[in-house]
Amino acid sequence: MARLANLETEYPVLDSTVRNFCASHGIFSVEDFLIHDLYMLAAFAEQNDSSERLKEGIAQVLSIIDDMHQPWLNGMELLEDAKRNKHVFPTGIQGIDLLLGDGIHVGQLTELVGPSSSGKTQVCLRTASNVARNHMVLYLDTGNSFSPQRIAYFLGKTISPSSAQAKNQFLQKVMSNISCHSVFDIFAMFDVLHQLESYLRCQDGRGGCQMRLLIVDSISSLISPVLGSSSTLGVINSKLMDTGRALMTSAGYLLKKLAHQHNLAVLIINHTVGGEGGSSKPALGDSWKCIPHSRLFLSCDRGSNTYNVSILRHPSMASGKAARFVI
Amino acid sequence: MEIWRLPISASQRGKLISSGYTSLSSLSSISSSDLARELKVSESEAMNILKVASHSRGSETSNASCSIVEGAQSAWDMLHDEESLMHITTSSADLDNILGGGIHCKEVTEIGWSSLSLIVNSVLKYKLTTAFSSESIIFMLIGGVPGIGKTQLGIQIAVNVQIPNDFGGLGGKAIYIDTEGSFMVERAFQIAEACIEDMSEYNRFLRKDFQECKIKMLPQDILENIFYFRICSYTEQIALINYLDKFLSEHKDVKVIVVDSVTFHFRQDFDDMALRTRVLSGMALKLMNLAKRFSLAVVLLNQVTTKHTEASFQLALALGDSWSHTCTNRIVLYWNGNERYAYIDKSPSLRSASAAYSVTARGIRNSSSSCKRIKMM
Repeated sequence: MARLANLETEYPVLDSTVRNFCASHGIFSVEDFLIHDLYMLAAFAEQNDSSERLKEGIAQVLSIIDDMHQPWLNGMELLEDAKRNKHVFPTGIQGIDLLLGDGIHVGQLTELVGPSSSGKTQVCLRTASNVARNHMVLYLDTGNSFSPQRIAYFLGKTISPSSAQAKNQFLQKVMSNISCHSVFDIFAMFDVLHQLESYLRCQDGRGGCQMRLLIVDSISSLISPVLGSSSTLGVINSKLMDTGRALMTSAGYLLKKLAHQHNLAVLIINHTVGGEGGSSKPALGDSWKCIPHSRLFLSCDRGSNTYNVSILRHPSMASGKAARFVI
Repeated sequence: MEIWRLPISASQRGKLISSGYTSLSSLSSISSSDLARELKVSESEAMNILKVASHSRGSETSNASCSIVEGAQSAWDMLHDEESLMHITTSSADLDNILGGGIHCKEVTEIGWSSLSLIVNSVLKYKLTTAFSSESIIFMLIGGVPGIGKTQLGIQIAVNVQIPNDFGGLGGKAIYIDTEGSFMVERAFQIAEACIEDMSEYNRFLRKDFQECKIKMLPQDILENIFYFRICSYTEQIALINYLDKFLSEHKDVKVIVVDSVTFHFRQDFDDMALRTRVLSGMALKLMNLAKRFSLAVVLLNQVTTKHTEASFQLALALGDSWSHTCTNRIVLYWNGNERYAYIDKSPSLRSASAAYSVTARGIRNSSSSCKRIKMM
C-alpha cells in the first residue's frame, strides 16, 4: 500500500494540506485510510477551513482504492482459465497419481507430511524429474538433500535402452531444466521467492520452456527456528512468537499467490512432531494447517520397503483415502 | 505486508508499520535522515533499515533472464560436481561400500549409536525401527554394554580426511568438537600411525618402487591438523557453531567437522522444550549452511535410545521427532551378537543397507569375518 506522501507526484491534489489533515488523524498510507471511519473523517473535514480541498483529496484517495482491487472474472472465464492453465502434473509414482486423480494441481499448494525418512524427498525428486521433461523446475533445498544422482537414476529408468550418447543428451536436456537453490533461513527464502516472482512476470510474456513447479524441501526446517510455542514462551518472548507466526503465514500466502498468479504447482515438505497419545502430527501447528490446498501423509513400512500415502486434506478428493507405492 | 519479510528487529518493524511504511516500495525513495526523523531512531539505524530493504528490492530487479534465481544451480551441473566430489573413507571397505564410497562432503551425516544390544536377528528389524524412530535426546544409560565405537569412528574420520590426494584422500584438515570429553589423543595418535602404515603399504603395492615408498607424513602432522574444541555447555556450543563461520573462512582446507556428541548438553540443561527445538533446528541449519558453503562434511554423533515404559517411550518420540528431520543422512550403529553393525537409516540417495565393522587397535576396520576379503584387495 502506498504512502500518501509518495502519491503527490501522481495526484497533485494530495498536497501537504491534505496530508497534514490526514496525519492529524493518524493516517499515513492508503491502507490506514481503509481502516479509518470515513464518515468521521468527512465530518472533520467539513469543520476545517479548507474543507473543499480536503474533500477533494479524500475523494481522490477513495478512487485510488477503487482501482486497486483485482479485475473480476465470471465463472466461465474461470473455467476457461482452469482448462487452459491449471493442468495436473503426474508425479510419476503410480500409487500417488491414482490416489490424487492424476497428480498435483497447478495453482495449488500440495504439502507432503511425514516422519523422518518416510519418502518425502524421494517423492519430490521423482516429481521433479517427471515434470522437468517439459517444464522448468525450481528446487529449494534446506537440508542438502537434493540428489542429482537420484534424479538421473529416475530418468534412466524411464527411457528405453538406446545408445549411451542419446541417453546422455536426454539426461542433459531434462536435468538442465531443474534448478536447485540452497536456503538456510527464512529471509533467504523470501529473497529467492521475490526473485522468482520477477522472473515469472517476465516469463509469462514470452514463450519457450516455462517454469511450472516449485518444490520447497522443507518449509518446516526454515520456520521452526523462528517459531515458538505459545504455551511455553513467556511474555518476554511473545513478540518473538508473533514475528515467527507472521513470517510463517506470510510465506504461505506468498507461495499461494505465486502458485495462482503464475500457474505454478507448489510442492512443500512438512515434518511431523509428536502429538498427544504418541501419534505424530504435522508440524507448524494450526495456523499453518489451513494454508496448503492439499495435504498428504506419508509413512514407510520398513519390512516390505513400501510406502503408504493417505489424504489428510484435498479440495476434490475425500480425505482418508490411502494408497501404497514403491520407489 | 512486505515489511514482515525484512530481517530487522521487531521494534524497528513496529515503528515502520506505525508510521505507515508497509511495502518495500514505500522505502525506496526516502532518505535515511528523513526516515530517522520520522521513526525517531538514530541515523545509522535508519540507514541499516534502508540497506536491508534495498537489498531485498535489489534482488527483485537485478535478474538475468538465463537463470530463474541467482545462485541456483542446475541439476545437470550438480551431477557433474558430485561425480568429482571426493569421499572420506571410514577405513572399513564394507562400510564405505554401503555409504557409496565414504562420508559425503556438502552433507550432514548423523551417526547414532544404539546402546541396546540386539542379539536375535529376527527381531532386529523390529527393534531397529523402534530404536531409531524414537531417536531421543533424553539421556539413558544402559550399563555393561561395551563401546560401539562411535568416538573411534569420529577419530578415524578426523584422521582419514587428511589422507593426501595421491592416495585417494581429500588432503584436508579436521575440526573435532568434543562435548563429552571422550576424545583420546593417544588413540588418535595410534590411528594416525596405522593410517600412515597403510598408506605406505598401499604405495609399495601400487608402485613397486622402493624409492617412493617413503611417506613424508608423520603422525605428528596428522594430530597437528585436527582442531580440537572442548565444549562444556550448550551456550558454548552455540557460540562455537556461530564462530565456525569465521574460523572456516580463515581455514579453507578444513574438510570435515565431527561433533561428538551433538545433543549431549541439550539433554540435560533445558526445561523449555519449545526453545530447545528452536535452538537445535537453528543450529542444524547453520551446520547445513557450513557444509554447503565450504564444501565439507559434517558428522554428528548422537545417541539413539528407547525407553521401555509406555508413557516415557512416547515422550522420547516427541522430543526426538523434530531433530530427526535435520540431518541429510543417518547411520545407526548397533550390536548384532558379537559384531558391530552400521545401518543406513536415512539418505536421499542411498538405499538402506547394513554392514559389519570392527574396532581394532589400528582403528575402524572391516569385521573380522570378512577380513580375508579385504586382504585380497
